[in-house]
Amino acid sequence: MKAYQIEPWNNVKRVNLDTYIPPEVEKIAKKVMAHYNMKVRSRKLITSKPDKGGAIWKIKTNKGTRSLKLLHRAPARSKFSVWAQDYIVKQGAKVPALVRTKNKQLYVEMGGKVWIVTDWIQPLKQASKINLKGAKQLCYGLGEFHKSSKGYIPPEEAVKASRLMRWPKYYEKVRTKIGWFRELAKAYKHLPASKRLLSMTDRFEKQASDALTQLEKSSYSKMVAKDEPHWGLVHQDYGWSNGQLGPGGLWVIDLDGVSYDLPIRDLRKLITSTMEDMGRWDVKWARGMINAYHKANPIDRETYEILMIDLSLPNEFYKHVKEMLYHPETFLKREADAVLNGVMKSEKTKWKALKKLWTDKKKFKSGNYTGESSRAKRKKKRSKKKRRQR
Amino acid sequence: MKVLMISTEKLPVPPVRGGAIQTYISGIAPLLSRKHDLTILGISDPGLPDQEKKGNIRYVRVEGGYLDVYKKGVAKYVKKNKNKFDVIHIFNRPRLVLPVRKAAPRARIILSMHNDMFDPEKLDPDEAKKILKEVEKVVTISNYVGRRIRELHHAKPSKFRTIYSGVDLQRFTPLHQSAKARRIRKKLRRQFKLGSRKVILFVGRISPKKGADILVRAMNELKKRHPNIALVIVGGRWFSDDKVSDYTAYVRALAKRSSVPIITTGYVPGEKIHEWFWAGDVFVCASLWQEPLARVHFEAMASELPFITTKRGGNPEVVERNNGVVVDRPEDPKAFVNALSKLLKDKSLRKRMGRNGRSLAEKKYGWKRVAKEVESVWKA
Repeated sequence: MKAYQIEPWNNVKRVNLDTYIPPEVEKIAKKVMAHYNMKVRSRKLITSKPDKGGAIWKIKTNKGTRSLKLLHRAPARSKFSVWAQDYIVKQGAKVPALVRTKNKQLYVEMGGKVWIVTDWIQPLKQASKINLKGAKQLCYGLGEFHKSSKGYIPPEEAVKASRLMRWPKYYEKVRTKIGWFRELAKAYKHLPASKRLLSMTDRFEKQASDALTQLEKSSYSKMVAKDEPHWGLVHQDYGWSNGQLGPGGLWVIDLDGVSYDLPIRDLRKLITSTMEDMGRWDVKWARGMINAYHKANPIDRETYEILMIDLSLPNEFYKHVKEMLYHPETFLKREADAVLNGVMKSEKTKWKALKKLWTDKKKFKSGNYTGESSRAKRKKKRSKKKRRQR
Repeated sequence: MKVLMISTEKLPVPPVRGGAIQTYISGIAPLLSRKHDLTILGISDPGLPDQEKKGNIRYVRVEGGYLDVYKKGVAKYVKKNKNKFDVIHIFNRPRLVLPVRKAAPRARIILSMHNDMFDPEKLDPDEAKKILKEVEKVVTISNYVGRRIRELHHAKPSKFRTIYSGVDLQRFTPLHQSAKARRIRKKLRRQFKLGSRKVILFVGRISPKKGADILVRAMNELKKRHPNIALVIVGGRWFSDDKVSDYTAYVRALAKRSSVPIITTGYVPGEKIHEWFWAGDVFVCASLWQEPLARVHFEAMASELPFITTKRGGNPEVVERNNGVVVDRPEDPKAFVNALSKLLKDKSLRKRMGRNGRSLAEKKYGWKRVAKEVESVWKA
């Protein structure tokens, strides 16, 4: 008989999915905990992903409070993140340490998933969302995190997760999908918001096109020629809840989605969402956030340029209007106006702010990218040395 | 000869979960196994044993899913059996070549290429060069695939050979040849309320590259000229996975507002696909990308359907002897309106094209011919 394989459980009927965990998963959780040198006194579900098959529990043990996690991704992918977390901890970053099993392993693989136990960091509290100081703390912490992720190389058992080469593809995708918004607005032209949406798609499609052109002209291709460990890892889900203030500074949690990338993408997302929350682009804030990050993980001029280009993508428009693909009628009838109001309000200040931010570029030192991979460079050095020895 | 055929890490052989490469291997293996001792190495599957012998073919299955995982299983197996095989034939995974070479330093390695795996985003150009050096022959499923690899890596043309894929000529058959086919056509048409409508058939993954959205957008305009039509879209998004992606949602949202009935069947298992070719009147491949050469063309031809394809990648290579129509600018729905209109208004043209396609398929696109050509590469 094949062992039970954990699958998403969002199709289970007549249960409260917020608190429900399938009994088989509960059973496996107990078996997993038995692999650790600890006596578990209580276990409480903190959050779950029924649609993916993942969960986090807070466990009280004789060794203190810990967290038990069922990682929803395919095991080989999860292992990439687990080993990354261990690497980052060893670099001295403020990331919850993994507790080893009795057999000194980093994780337990059971039910077709990877499970981990980590320290429960306490107390953790959110950085202030309403003053720049809080945003700066968050950005500084992010910089520390990125810096300490550099040099990570996954073990053979893990599959490499990387978005490093995918930037142009992503930009194209944004542009293409804005084209879809246009076609849907045409197909649903009987709804009043369609007209308004249709009057905006050209503008945002052009923004996506322009950003792609700029990316192609930038140092991007030379930068990504450096190997992935040079750049380190992007968190992908970083914000006020996955970066929190705790003992000694800012702690970064929930690392299971980490991937190789130009990690500056995390900072871009944080800036975009912060400006969105404020309802306008504020140069002082954006600058403060970038500088705070720069203090922890210095940005070079080329990276700064990539950050600016990425900010100029119509991220806000794209993210919110994308909902329309799934429920065009509901979206166009009930949500479109509010969404488009928000986007247009932020547009009013975005471009002026970006223009100012672009002028900061010269304050950053060039990274002098040659377009050679780090590996090729090392090789060259070695052969030069050899020649000299001869 | 003793031959090891190595499939990909994505889907098992036989193609119980679909897959072009898996279908290809299973199409030629029975024929080749009459004269040769075959072992097929592929991925494990809950529904299949890890080792079995069926007829003359030995199946060995190792863990797959990710190439990095599969690679290890493949290397281990090859190392253990390095002197057992005269030829190791790897399918569409250039990245398996070097590990296989390391495990079997003296083996003759043949590589079959079904798509763009040699493109720089998928394969480091340095590695690509090494791979091309290690293999004896690169078999490609269209001239386009071979040309593209040669352009990218300046490889020697003599190392390449195009062997077009095939189709099961006993399963994909002309409608008029069997009462069963006509019965099924009727049944499907009743089930999906198609009535007497002319059915425009699309078979393929619902992904942006395949252009189903353009076809849906063409329908409103086409209806003005041909009021009695329907578009049938056969296929899930990604093999047997029916989850809704942004793109699927988009196509569905377009379809909902269409004045022409758009039928989406969802995933249809491989062994049932041929039935839809019986239910259709015109087949369309709407691909926007540089497609290597889609198998559906052979299936349409074998089923005696006239078809429309796009001037992308290897697709136009199958258009000959008036068996179909090539659309030059597939990103424009109007191009499909015109091409479809030409076929829809002319019954005798449709018939002629269908017949030409079937006779071509019988001559060129049966598995027998594919197997014979593959064998000649092994024997070279």
